[in-house]
Amino acid sequence: MIRKVLFLISLLGLSCSSDSITHSEKTSFYKIYKDIVISKPVPPQPQQTKEKKIYDKAWLSKFNQPIILLSSLDGKKTATLVALGNYKDKLTWVSADGISVSFSNGILIATRGYSQDLIESQHNDLNTLFSENTSRRVKKYRYINGENRYRELTFICNIVAKTATPSFFLDLKLQTTKFIETCKADTTNHTNEYYVLPNTSIVLKSKQWISETNGSVIIDNYYSFQNNLL
Amino acid sequence: MLNLLVNFLTLLISLLLINANIGSAKEKELFETPKKLNTYGMPGTIDNPTADVFPEGQFSVSSSIFGGTIRTNLSFQVTNSITLSFRYARVPLLDSEFGGYTWDRSFDFHYVFNEEKSIFPSIAVGLRDFIGTGLYSGEYFVASKSLASGIDVSVGIGWGRLAGRNSYDNIFGFNERKDRNFGQGGSFHIDHFFSGPNSPFFSLSYNVSPNLEIIAEMSQDNYDVEVSAPKGFKRKSDLNFGFKYEIAQGFSLMGKLMHGDAIGLSGTLALNPRNKPFKSGIEPAPMPLLENKILLETQSFMDSDVFFRSAELLELDGIILLSMEIDNNFVDVEILDRNYLNVSQMIGRVARILSKTVPLQVNFFRINMVDYQSGYSVSQIIVERESLREFELVFDGPDKLWRNVKIVNSSAGTNSSFTLSKNRASWSIYPDVDLMLFDPHSPINGSLGWEATLAYKINNSTTINSSVKQAILTGLNDIKRNPKSGLPNVRSDFMIYYRDISTRPYISSLTIDQYYKPFKNIYGQINFGYLEMMYSGIRGEAIWKDANKPYGIGLDLAHIYKRNTYGDFSILSNSYSTIIGTIYYDFQSDWNIQLDAGRYLAGDYGSTFSLSRNFNNGWEIGAFATLTDVKFSTFGEGSFDKGITLKVPLSWFTGKKSQAYTKTAIRPITGDGGARLKLDDKKFLYRNIAKYSENRFRKNWKRVYR
Repeated sequence: MIRKVLFLISLLGLSCSSDSITHSEKTSFYKIYKDIVISKPVPPQPQQTKEKKIYDKAWLSKFNQPIILLSSLDGKKTATLVALGNYKDKLTWVSADGISVSFSNGILIATRGYSQDLIESQHNDLNTLFSENTSRRVKKYRYINGENRYRELTFICNIVAKTATPSFFLDLKLQTTKFIETCKADTTNHTNEYYVLPNTSIVLKSKQWISETNGSVIIDNYYSFQNNLL
Repeated sequence: MLNLLVNFLTLLISLLLINANIGSAKEKELFETPKKLNTYGMPGTIDNPTADVFPEGQFSVSSSIFGGTIRTNLSFQVTNSITLSFRYARVPLLDSEFGGYTWDRSFDFHYVFNEEKSIFPSIAVGLRDFIGTGLYSGEYFVASKSLASGIDVSVGIGWGRLAGRNSYDNIFGFNERKDRNFGQGGSFHIDHFFSGPNSPFFSLSYNVSPNLEIIAEMSQDNYDVEVSAPKGFKRKSDLNFGFKYEIAQGFSLMGKLMHGDAIGLSGTLALNPRNKPFKSGIEPAPMPLLENKILLETQSFMDSDVFFRSAELLELDGIILLSMEIDNNFVDVEILDRNYLNVSQMIGRVARILSKTVPLQVNFFRINMVDYQSGYSVSQIIVERESLREFELVFDGPDKLWRNVKIVNSSAGTNSSFTLSKNRASWSIYPDVDLMLFDPHSPINGSLGWEATLAYKINNSTTINSSVKQAILTGLNDIKRNPKSGLPNVRSDFMIYYRDISTRPYISSLTIDQYYKPFKNIYGQINFGYLEMMYSGIRGEAIWKDANKPYGIGLDLAHIYKRNTYGDFSILSNSYSTIIGTIYYDFQSDWNIQLDAGRYLAGDYGSTFSLSRNFNNGWEIGAFATLTDVKFSTFGEGSFDKGITLKVPLSWFTGKKSQAYTKTAIRPITGDGGARLKLDDKKFLYRNIAKYSENRFRKNWKRVYR
């Protein structure tokens, strides 16, 4: 009996296939079972004394193509994205780990590669959003639900503009207009922030909401600086 | 027969783990309500029903134990108002040949015809054990109302077992309830419904917190059979008390005191296929689309061979480019996809890559999808290049693109100018689990062993497939049941094969499979050799399927011989023939039906009706029943062949692209009536073809830009 059990266990270790897809499918299933049977406690993460990265003009000068920086709200996760798509003023930026974000006039309109992607969105006032007269707007966000159908959220947003807001970009201190967009839908709400170059619609930096699961991200639009806009 | 049930249950548990980690508390949508189940796996308190429903699509596995009784239930919320459950129960019995117990299968039905609104309660009607042996037979009407402060009250009137105590004359005047004599079981006993005396029942529950509920109920079930059995319990009171605690999303426990004597425990695992943990998936983002100027620049840096540069990029997305032909403003490609479950997402990625790699003069992509198994191209989708780009990031983009897309059947024949895999031979060796349930001598039985497969592709449409299995640890060689009498033993003698094979290696299958596509919309295959553990011979299948129609027609013919019970190469002289015609219909909604009719293995004539709910994410929950000209008494226990099917996709759990799935058929009884060849799912053509139909693309088209 013991020999049989040992044989079965060793067989599990020796399981394989000449076909990579078959092997990947089988091991994915086994991994699910293994995770249940052997649920290892997550070891405490050692306190890392990570050297803080300095984002300055010298750092930016290393890039010879347009980039933006995406950061989590706590700043612990960052990704540099390069522009790979451009069609009718809609820019798509892609990260090395397979995330893409698309913008129109600096407003996030779609994401790909997140677990709950912003599949599409509707904004009727993208060209006038950063005029200081805008105070109220409606936007629609669409997601794909568990059955590959749309889940649509309609947000009613209030926008407040704060002029002459000092902000830091790279190693520069700039005066910007800060637009605070507070949005509410039936089941969720969020606040977006845009730091816009005065008297333009150029968004230098923003905090924008993606979805309920993924929350908000901070976007540093270094592309503006690469184009020698300042 | 049930060899993947354990896998499924394990996956169920894993879902709970995944949900616990990934489920967003912020989302208000409620998908699982495990606390709503009673010991019968239906909406209720402890034993009593309530006029509740589970969230539509919820699938639950629950088990309860008390006073010698064990009930294990599979429940499914079919629609917003209909709940069904299948139960396998151990019941204490006075004169039993199975150690003081009997084992019983039964089905329940629950329909809420009035939902709770303002002062009006919800009202439901239910049938308990309406298609089994009737051991739990009972019917009810029940009304439920939520009061302030988390208090829920239910009041009902019951018949059958629900009217064991405090009964009075039937409110409909049907005072006589016939004795419980259901022959071989498995048939409806309509003449019992709502007959005999009726009794009231009451339930009261209080939600102490969102996770904890305490319950008291007055149940009129007499438990006649159980209290008279030595392994049963004493019924001292009409009252049951209990509490339910939701430990994690989709998982709850219930503790209970039954009728003043028996202490019991129940556990419920609930999941809803609609509640995909990884939402839109975590595959990497697709390639963005470019303006012409940038596109030209990009192409100038690429390999000059358009086929090579396209194939290279497609391979990164797990798609194989088999052929490419550019003709003015059209490019015709044949692709092979073995990774994406969602065909629309796959086509979106192919089209994106082609728009990056093919010359600007090309305006239309004609993409032909080749089936790996058969080698023929099934469907062709035509995508306009400019529309793809125009609608990529616009609101309602997929719908706008859909209007410019055309899907047709690919041309007849198979293309022999390419090879479907680099190596003609492929092999694998993996553990093998074979589970068998519902044998009263050994309700959970099975074997653990290994399976080795070897396949050799002679050409794209001809393959030799083989499988050798060996059980290392098995209880299947000691099945106490014997073959049924009355019909030729075409399936009910399966235990002789398990007994004789025991722990020896045996040829599970060894066939040469030839595929044909003589016309654009006709697909065929011939399988010759050792088809399954019990049969060898020749089988042919032909399917008519138009890519733009939601239906298809099939014909399945087989002439087969019984194999030797030792699973070697020898063949017995008993021969059988089956001729079965099939109509398939895929509704616009999530429901599919299949109707088979013809001559079955034992020479009986009849038909099989299958109905399945296909969630638009790969999950499938269905049921089937086969009625033939074999009398119920001749079929024996169970009266006719029936069962439940479950299909669970891997991608649902991982969020990554994969076509892998596990499929299980739960058949309460194995008989000879309505029996067919037991073949691997892949040996049936229709689903492989239908996955490239217009209907399937339309349902999933919202993922085209994902």
